[in-house]
Amino acid sequence: MSKGSAYVASRLPEIVGAEHVLTDIRVCAKYEVDGVRPSVAVRPGAAAEIAEILRFAAADQLAVIPMGGRTKLGIGMPPRQFDLALDLSRLNRVLAYDPRDLTCGVESGVLFADLDRQLAAERQFLPLAPAFADRATLGGIIAAGADSPLRYAYGSARDYLLGMEFITGDGVFSKSGGRVVKNVTGYDLHKLLIGSLGTLAVITRLNFRTFPLPPAQQTFLASFPTVPEALSFCAAIAKSPLQPKLVEALDRGTARLFAARGCTRTSGDAWSAVITAAGQQAVVERHARDLERMAGDMRASEFAPLNDSEQAALLGCITEFPRLILEAFPRAAIFRIAALPAAMPDLLRQISAALERQRLDQATLVRASGVVYVAMLPPTSRDAADENAPAKNDAAKNDAADKNDADENPDIRLVTAGREIMKVGVAGGWRPLIEWCPPSVKRELRAAGGSIWPPAGDEHFLAERLKKVFDPHGILAPGRFQGGV
Amino acid sequence: MDAKLVRGLEQLLGSAGVLAGANDLLLYEYDGSIDEARPDCVVFPRSTQDVVEIVRLANRYDVPIVGRGAGTGLSGGAIARRGGIVIAFSRMKRILEIDTVNQRAVVEPGVVNSDLTRAVEKDGLYFAPDPSSQKACTIGGNVSENSGGPHTLAYGVTSSHVTALQLVLPDARVVRVGSRAIETPGYDLTGLVIGSEGTFALVTEITVKLSRLPEKVGTLLAVFDTVEDATDTVADITSRGITPAACEMLDAWTLRAVEAFVHAGFPLDSAAVLLIEVEGVQEAAEAQSAEIAEVCRLHNAREVRRAADGPERELLWKGRKNAFGAVGRLSPSYYVMDGVIPRTKLTVTLRYIEDVGKRYSLQIGNVFHAGDGNLHPLILFDQRDPAQLDRAIAAAGEIMKFCVDMGGALTGEHGVGMEKSQLMPLMFSEADLDLMRQVRAVFNPEGRLNPDKVLPLVKGCGETRVNVLAVLSSGRP
Ligand SMILES: Cc1cc2nc3c(=O)[nH]c(=O)nc-3n(C[C@H](O)[C@H](O)[C@H](O)COP(=O)(O)OP(=O)(O)OC[C@H]3O[C@@H](n4cnc5c(N)ncnc54)[C@H](O)[C@@H]3O)c2cc1C
Repeated sequence: MSKGSAYVASRLPEIVGAEHVLTDIRVCAKYEVDGVRPSVAVRPGAAAEIAEILRFAAADQLAVIPMGGRTKLGIGMPPRQFDLALDLSRLNRVLAYDPRDLTCGVESGVLFADLDRQLAAERQFLPLAPAFADRATLGGIIAAGADSPLRYAYGSARDYLLGMEFITGDGVFSKSGGRVVKNVTGYDLHKLLIGSLGTLAVITRLNFRTFPLPPAQQTFLASFPTVPEALSFCAAIAKSPLQPKLVEALDRGTARLFAARGCTRTSGDAWSAVITAAGQQAVVERHARDLERMAGDMRASEFAPLNDSEQAALLGCITEFPRLILEAFPRAAIFRIAALPAAMPDLLRQISAALERQRLDQATLVRASGVVYVAMLPPTSRDAADENAPAKNDAAKNDAADKNDADENPDIRLVTAGREIMKVGVAGGWRPLIEWCPPSVKRELRAAGGSIWPPAGDEHFLAERLKKVFDPHGILAPGRFQGGV
Repeated sequence: MDAKLVRGLEQLLGSAGVLAGANDLLLYEYDGSIDEARPDCVVFPRSTQDVVEIVRLANRYDVPIVGRGAGTGLSGGAIARRGGIVIAFSRMKRILEIDTVNQRAVVEPGVVNSDLTRAVEKDGLYFAPDPSSQKACTIGGNVSENSGGPHTLAYGVTSSHVTALQLVLPDARVVRVGSRAIETPGYDLTGLVIGSEGTFALVTEITVKLSRLPEKVGTLLAVFDTVEDATDTVADITSRGITPAACEMLDAWTLRAVEAFVHAGFPLDSAAVLLIEVEGVQEAAEAQSAEIAEVCRLHNAREVRRAADGPERELLWKGRKNAFGAVGRLSPSYYVMDGVIPRTKLTVTLRYIEDVGKRYSLQIGNVFHAGDGNLHPLILFDQRDPAQLDRAIAAAGEIMKFCVDMGGALTGEHGVGMEKSQLMPLMFSEADLDLMRQVRAVFNPEGRLNPDKVLPLVKGCGETRVNVLAVLSSGRP
């Protein structure tokens, strides 16, 4: 920090009230981003306070990271500098909800779970289906560019986020879009903020289109011995007249992880395709009939409709995939790679080969719409998924494992495999992102000239110029974004 | 314009690739809106490289450039407001690639919207954005305006169906944004450029998603004796969580105009009709048809007609999609508006529009995308009578202001262009507009590309906001 914390401690309370300025070291530790601890955390209660904090931070060159439920701060590169945590959890009001118009407007700190409950009371929902659903805020979900298994039918946030209010890095209020479901008035600046990791502006309000909950829904499971077969089944669904709500495929590693969470229907020894059909009862029944026939035609080893509790468990696991991985394997790294469906089998084969070479286990989740998540699992935690061992024991086990594998640091394997997969992906024409990984791996990657981000393309100068426009003093989450932005 | 520049362009494109004669240029003074201005020349590139060279020349001679697709735009977007070179993309109309397995196509910007669908229909695919002008408008124009159409209600506007763009920036640099994949890490530059109305970059290649044709389409025509019953029906369908693929409304005046032209079978003595479409697997289309018919009857529909597949359906849609043309036969000029309101406000807004028509003694017809609250009041006037033009513009201003006051927006799909730029302060503060100006400058720092569009010309929102209507009518040619 450029000024002593005494100065900060005197100025910030004037803006937000002393009880909302947190400087205690232990408290600040909770606001760490990739191991970088801020010297102060501030909890503004209104947009005007945020603007003032940002103006103050800009004048003093304090680096600020906005945050909500703090569930997705692990995404991005470690910040170059981090002084002030901007905790938005007090901005938690639902400002407008018009169920008859199917639109709503919320402050960015509203918990997804809270909004979801309000919408459910009107038999509506928002198809964000985020991981860490109980703690995630809407601002955080959008700023982190979180993906949803429901995108198969509903598209991504870009398709149903109607508008936004935000405060740029120089403390200026701004907005774009609006509150109605169709609108082309002005430039769509809010689209830039989706997935921007807080590097462009602090989001204060989001307007969404909401969706009716389908009257009926059922989930089906089809098992196949290999990836290509499971993915061919998904491709056949895409080519059929069926319009399911969700189509995913998961491997053995993921099935095992789900089983440890009480979701035993996915067989642990094969690839499983998961399909959810939704709509009127007749529509669901039609999907059941056609899917069963298609699964038979394609020689599925098993086809099963799930009962309600099995369905809830499985969809819950799919939604919480990164969380389940990280809870079971705190040192795992998870790739998120968007690729065309037809390219997926080959890409997955190359990825598995790379992981094999580094003796890393794998848990894979494929969204049939064209995104694959590959978790690289360090061998030291190979069976942690089956145990609820307290952290201390885990650490002891890690130590033991390290001694067995004395010649190496497990991070090195993650880094090597990570770089290899990045290369394979880029060569295939894709832009892999290591969405989650331990901070130490990020630093190793950086030291080796790499990043969690795919190499930026020739359009990168536009991103740099945009950063300057939105955040002229460079105080918002510096260094976390692609290409060092 | 400098004769040397014209010669340079002719050297590049051949003399058939450049128009500079006064008579030829006349055709390029207009688009589908009521504004006009004459460019200094029109050029027809055949490749991205041609576009790059044209832009270099424009830079050397310091003249403005404006992209143009089919010129069907309804907000003056393709009009060379400050002269210069119009780059018409009508010769860049190749479909470069069709990938039926992954449901993607790569096209040049001049490909006509419905031509793409025609090229992929045999594989059970289509390009979902379906502006009523789809037989003429280009995909480059759709991208620039982020166009919608009747089926936008269920499938989203153009931005939901484009994954990558190749751009020529006003400094002649070529960049690609996005990728073929469904998402691309980094800032969503593709999403930002779509809908920038040709003021950020020239779009020279577009990667689009193709959608699967539904198994079953059900088309319903619901006939009402009052406008209120029709609008209440729309609000009720929405609030019951029924999402038809399309839900269009025509009021009495408009449906009579259409019927005289197209003979689609709209009942002449009704107050309003809804044209509703449901799609999906057979079971979904049937269940939704039944539900919707029931809601229509609850709101006193006099008749709910189900179109048989094929010709009958096509005829109804022909009626809808030719509505503007039908109106054009009745009135020397008409002004198409594009306001959006929350779906719950349809009834009160239509009542307000009727009242505005009475106050200004203007005939206003309504034919619009009711399901997403996107109004298209058509204000009829005679452009030869300046007083009528002024009244039409003033009436339009009042209607737009009302939409914004209802929590809505100035434009749902036609864009701001030069037509509504002075009204932007109704929705945005000076700080909002200033940020938009700076973002535009990231791409188009000198304002050479499509100057004086989208953002208001006058700085200082005080005057514009207080006196929007005065500015609007006095600021016109
Ligand atoms: C009868 C009628 C019905 C219509 N119905 C609808 C409807 O249902 N929904 C709807 O959304 N719109 C509708 N429109 C409006 C219009 O058709 C759309 O905006 C359409 O997308 C414009 O395409 P165009 O090729 O004619 O573009 P133009 O009018 O030629 O250009 C539109 C804008 O795009 C820019 N531009 C065009 N090509 C490029 C390029 N390659 N690179 C950069 N900039 C470019 C131009 O500079 C201009 O700003 C309708 C218009 C008419 C006349």
